[in-house]
Amino acid sequence: MNLFTWLFRRRRIERDLDAEIRTHFDMAIAERTAAGEDPNAARLAAMQEFGNALQAREEARAVWRGTAVGAVVDIWQDVRFGVRMLVKNPGFSLVVIAVLTLGIAGNAAVFSLFKGLALKPLPGVRDSASTSVLLNRTIDGRGLGISVPDYRDIAAGQQSFERLTASMMVFASLGRGVDARRVIAELVVGNYFETLGVGAQLGRTLTPSDDVAPGQHPVAVIGDSLWRRSFAADPAIVGTTIYINGQPFSVVGVAAPDFNGTIVSMGVDVFVPLMMQPQLQAPSRLDMRGVFGLTTIGYLKPGVSIDAATAEAAIFAARLEAQHPLPNLDRDFEVVPIWRSPFGAQTYWLPAIAVLGGIGLLILMVVCANVANLVLVRGAGRSGELGVRLALGASRGRLLRLLLVENLVLALPGALAGVVLASWLLPYVAAGAAASAPSRVYLDTSVDAYVLLFAIALSCACATAFGFVPALRASRVELAAALNDLSPRLASGGRLRALLVVSQVAVSLVLLIAAGLVLRSYAAAARADGGFESAQVTSIAIDLQTAGYDATRGPVAVTRLLDALSAEPALSSASLAMNVPMSLVDNASRATNVEGYAPRADEDMLFLYNVVAPQYFQTLRIPLLAGRDFTRDDDAGAPPAVIVNDTLARRFWASPENALGKRLRSGNSEWRIVVGVARDVKYSRLSEAPRPFVYYPLLQSYVPTFHIHARTDGDLNYAMRRVRGHVQALDPAIPITRSTTLTEQTRVALSVYELAAGALTMFGVMTIILAAIGIYGVIAYTVQQSTQEIGIRLAIGASREQVALKFLGRGAALAAIGAAIGVALAAVASGAIESLLYGVGARDVIAFVGATGLVMGLALLASFIPAWRASRTDPLTVLRRH
Amino acid sequence: MEPKRYRPRLEILQGTLDMLILQTLQWGPQHGYAIGQTIRTESAESLRIETGSLYPALHRLEKQGLVKSDWRLTEQNQRAKFYRLTPKGKKQLVHERGRWSQLVSAIGTILNPKRSRS
Repeated sequence: MNLFTWLFRRRRIERDLDAEIRTHFDMAIAERTAAGEDPNAARLAAMQEFGNALQAREEARAVWRGTAVGAVVDIWQDVRFGVRMLVKNPGFSLVVIAVLTLGIAGNAAVFSLFKGLALKPLPGVRDSASTSVLLNRTIDGRGLGISVPDYRDIAAGQQSFERLTASMMVFASLGRGVDARRVIAELVVGNYFETLGVGAQLGRTLTPSDDVAPGQHPVAVIGDSLWRRSFAADPAIVGTTIYINGQPFSVVGVAAPDFNGTIVSMGVDVFVPLMMQPQLQAPSRLDMRGVFGLTTIGYLKPGVSIDAATAEAAIFAARLEAQHPLPNLDRDFEVVPIWRSPFGAQTYWLPAIAVLGGIGLLILMVVCANVANLVLVRGAGRSGELGVRLALGASRGRLLRLLLVENLVLALPGALAGVVLASWLLPYVAAGAAASAPSRVYLDTSVDAYVLLFAIALSCACATAFGFVPALRASRVELAAALNDLSPRLASGGRLRALLVVSQVAVSLVLLIAAGLVLRSYAAAARADGGFESAQVTSIAIDLQTAGYDATRGPVAVTRLLDALSAEPALSSASLAMNVPMSLVDNASRATNVEGYAPRADEDMLFLYNVVAPQYFQTLRIPLLAGRDFTRDDDAGAPPAVIVNDTLARRFWASPENALGKRLRSGNSEWRIVVGVARDVKYSRLSEAPRPFVYYPLLQSYVPTFHIHARTDGDLNYAMRRVRGHVQALDPAIPITRSTTLTEQTRVALSVYELAAGALTMFGVMTIILAAIGIYGVIAYTVQQSTQEIGIRLAIGASREQVALKFLGRGAALAAIGAAIGVALAAVASGAIESLLYGVGARDVIAFVGATGLVMGLALLASFIPAWRASRTDPLTVLRRH
Repeated sequence: MEPKRYRPRLEILQGTLDMLILQTLQWGPQHGYAIGQTIRTESAESLRIETGSLYPALHRLEKQGLVKSDWRLTEQNQRAKFYRLTPKGKKQLVHERGRWSQLVSAIGTILNPKRSRS
């Protein structure tokens, strides 16, 4: 039976009873009137005969009490009473609901993110949280994909997964020439859609028969969002031809509407068979055991644990190691649940969410403490009412329930308003995150049943937390004292409220110190240079492959572009680079061999790298510590050259000077001579530790997509227009996929601090306001309850200053105790956010002192107002009143 | 006014009201007012229950499953809640009647020792 039938039955009982008694009166009166009595007299007589109608009704109703229906009747009464109390004290109710709304909104928002990442990581895939990923773990714990041949061997023999599928994500250009746009493509194994249980809303999905022979399956399934964005949801899309990286593909279907691929938070636009990989991005990786590009995914068979699956994967690793040994890399397979997969947003978001969630809970504690305070104060005011209830025979349990139901009545609107607020705020948070992400972010953060349930559960927990202690206290009302209104009822609540205030001050100080640390990190990061000068430098990304340039024509175009740029008078220097520094995420790395060096078995020899044209170091003003920059002569005809960073040079050859002339190579390719050593820069994040880095010359190892970095001494906008002009002049078909400045581009690495500083400051300010309200409340209440004492003191000669100081001192004492606890807590806890910090220590004195000063100042201000009011007490009035 | 309405009433023994209600209902479904009237007239006006206690009793019986109720139209076309005996209620009535006669005879024996002995 659901709540509504219960409520309905309860209403029916009451209505029945009323109707029954009314019928009785009607009949009695009718009979008497029929017998000739005067109608009024008849009514009186009937009433007399009936006795106490009210009591009869109560007794009849009481018959049903104790049954399920009866309990609902009681609780319903409590709820109605709660709602009446809520409406009767609109000020109190609004403050409580507003405070709760803030607390729950923050938590619901964090929870929505968590849901999008961990509970429903892959929208459109049934029970996607229970998928698992088989990956290759490096010695230092980095996760890699696995190679295509390895995947084939594993998929054919494995027993742990119901079925294993795999895919590879690539950025690609859709369309040709100036109309081209950058999209995310997923190269998928034939059983991909089948394994994930994803269907097509139009046409068909890809099947194993689409993935048989290399280069023979030019078919594609497009995602719903691309279909709507770029094809206006054209129902005739199936059968048309689209161009991906310049290659024609026939569209065979549109994937189910909510499906976004299998890279968490990435919205995949187009799916093509893995066998088409060589056509999309030569060279072919289909037979290379040394390229770990595939991300696997699948559902484990029922009853197979992650550990069992990992054990099986280890057997494959050993077998593959024996059959196909790889230089420089041991296969170390591992199976992890998708939320621990390193491929996707969960890697860098889940730790942040853990921190945010912790902060959210702290705030919720402050909120509960604050509401408990308000409820306590109101509880004191209501002891008279509760006394009457007890005197009339209400049990204490019944009273306790009434108070808890009242708190729930307050908490639920808070929960709902919180969810609504969260759903308003989330798009802004998501937009902030999206702005900093390298590509289109897709997470299911919608407010759904999960979020709603979470908020309601949270609010119920709050209601119990903030309601229980005050309710227990209130239900212990001293009967006689309450009824005579003589009780010293404040004194009892005073200590508890002081405790609540102290904890609020402590928590808000912890948050403010964290905010201060992150704010100072942000300031330091904004001032910091990543080892290069980004001002006055362009960052314009172009894509030669889409425009139809292959490995022969491409380098020619590069040379012509470099010629044009070096002849441009608006530029002081210009270069090209595959990747931009400080890109937030790690870009590609290569297994690297150093001549004459035998790496330890557990040594990580996968080094990040970039491919750059001549003048790169000059343009970005990265000092060369030894040797020379790449020149135009380092081309295909010259001996292979390479430039390494300081860290790499010192690691293998002790000093930059020593490194010159030494040789290294990527994998088993040709040996390259070190011609220069560059100072370290920050390759991904400001907070990263120094790491080895290799620069390959673009003129010797061609890549088709790169950024044009050009430095100007004049107007940067003009320089950007000129650079774009040169690209157009070279070939109007070359797509410019992004046109911005290097400063703008590297701001991405600061976005983490921006987001964290913003969130922490907001939360910190929120809690300090709550704490200030708490202090004000306690002092104001103490003042109000001590009017008589104040009057006497003033009357016997205390000065007004002494009175004011007394209460100010009480506020200051509470704040100081809270602050001391807060500082201690922060000193312990600040290590947790160490990874977020840059340029400041976790125990930064300025952040600690500043936050403490702010909290103490606000606390004094909050207690000053009631203290001042206390000193204004008129002793005569007070004494007369008592 | 009729003088007989002021005749002293007999107090109903605790627990007997339930039995009287069940007894009244064995002739067919009745609504609350009729039950009250029937008890009064059957006892030749000497038993008059305070109507106030009638309804809690009816609800108590209903909760125990001895009677059932539904809304019907009276002969005067008035909607009223009718109570009827359930099989369980009939059994209960037989049981109560047995106990009542035992009680009456026991009390009778105490009050009129000679007559009973003779």
